[in-house]
Amino acid sequence: MKVKNAVICAAGLGSRLGLDTPKCLVKLGKHRLIYYLLDILKDVENVRIVVGFKEEEVIEYVKNIREDVVFVRNPDYSSTTNSYSLYLGSHDLNEPFVTIDGDMIIDEKNFKIFVDAIDVNEDLIAITKAKTEDAVFAKIDENDFITEFSREPISKYEWSGVAYFANFKMSKSGQYIYQEIEPNLPLKSVLMECWEIDTPGDLDLVMNEVSHIF
Amino acid sequence: MKTAFCFDLDGTVTKQEILPLISKEVELHEEISLLTQLTLDGLIPFQNSFKLRVKLLSTIAISTVAKVVDKVLLDQHIVDFIHANKDHCYIVTGNLDVWVKELIETRIKCDYFSSEADYMGDQLLGVKNVLDKGKAVKELRNKYDRIVAVGDSMNDCSMFQKADIGIAFGGTHNPVNSLVKLSNFVTFDSQSLIRILQKYK
Repeated sequence: MKVKNAVICAAGLGSRLGLDTPKCLVKLGKHRLIYYLLDILKDVENVRIVVGFKEEEVIEYVKNIREDVVFVRNPDYSSTTNSYSLYLGSHDLNEPFVTIDGDMIIDEKNFKIFVDAIDVNEDLIAITKAKTEDAVFAKIDENDFITEFSREPISKYEWSGVAYFANFKMSKSGQYIYQEIEPNLPLKSVLMECWEIDTPGDLDLVMNEVSHIF
Repeated sequence: MKTAFCFDLDGTVTKQEILPLISKEVELHEEISLLTQLTLDGLIPFQNSFKLRVKLLSTIAISTVAKVVDKVLLDQHIVDFIHANKDHCYIVTGNLDVWVKELIETRIKCDYFSSEADYMGDQLLGVKNVLDKGKAVKELRNKYDRIVAVGDSMNDCSMFQKADIGIAFGGTHNPVNSLVKLSNFVTFDSQSLIRILQKYK
């Protein structure tokens, strides 16, 4: 497997979903969301999960699926962003890593598209067809390089929350992950299908569109 | 940056709790195991429980205990890491010097901090001093820029409070929740643990 390290950020409250449970523990079919992420990462040697909200529940569930996961704690999860969680999960790695948001669903086929597009020494950003309410749109040039991010609908694609970082480190004080990527643009992108669960509507959508996974 | 690695002994470097193992020598296994479990769960303070457990086991000759302890199962990945970095690795254990000295010196092979026994010849009289693990870290401060602590129990909390990086390790049993709350990393697999330690060398 050319990907050696993966960092899943699963520390947040997931308040928009309105369930008293971390989003990575939302039940989808037979298992909980993070089960499916761990499944696509099964060949990755070093998997780290950044935990915060109800960390003991996440740890208890995950360790029964994969014992060798490293949990990185973000005790300040309620006042910090995903960007800070990713900093905590990756700042000491000194090696390229894949990052995935802990509220995402990706099937094996699409994850393979992403992994196949990775050149181990280069950063790669996964984009997806814009569909979320608070999308960060990504402008793409003719060579599939991302040239710009914007909250304005400047393209039909959005930043997916999945990336392979080989050449730059997250800063400690970043707001959003896309803002950490921004100074490094243009960067290569790959288009894949994936789903994010932020709202009850997203959950329904996933249950309808991706039921083949569950 | 110079980094020290501090390891708890029982249930961290060893794959078995040592005191229950010793207790098999006298017919007190159930009692010692219960006390050990209550201590691990943080229901009775380590100091009191340890003194009581030592009292219960004090009829066994020190040399007999050392022989039992010498057979304890160790986590090979952790031992290999310690061997490769022995000048900067330390065992920080609440266990008694006279009981674990030989194990540490012959099989683990690094420096250590431990509780101290009061003894006469081969006869254990009691506990002279129960180690405050936080003090051990404080002592290492003079020599190191960064201190990484690995443990699983209530009595590791003071070590984690004073260390820069705390890794709660559930190799033998789940790390106690209070310790998890003081940690930066939590893991249940010793190869994953070593993978983290390598990053801080």
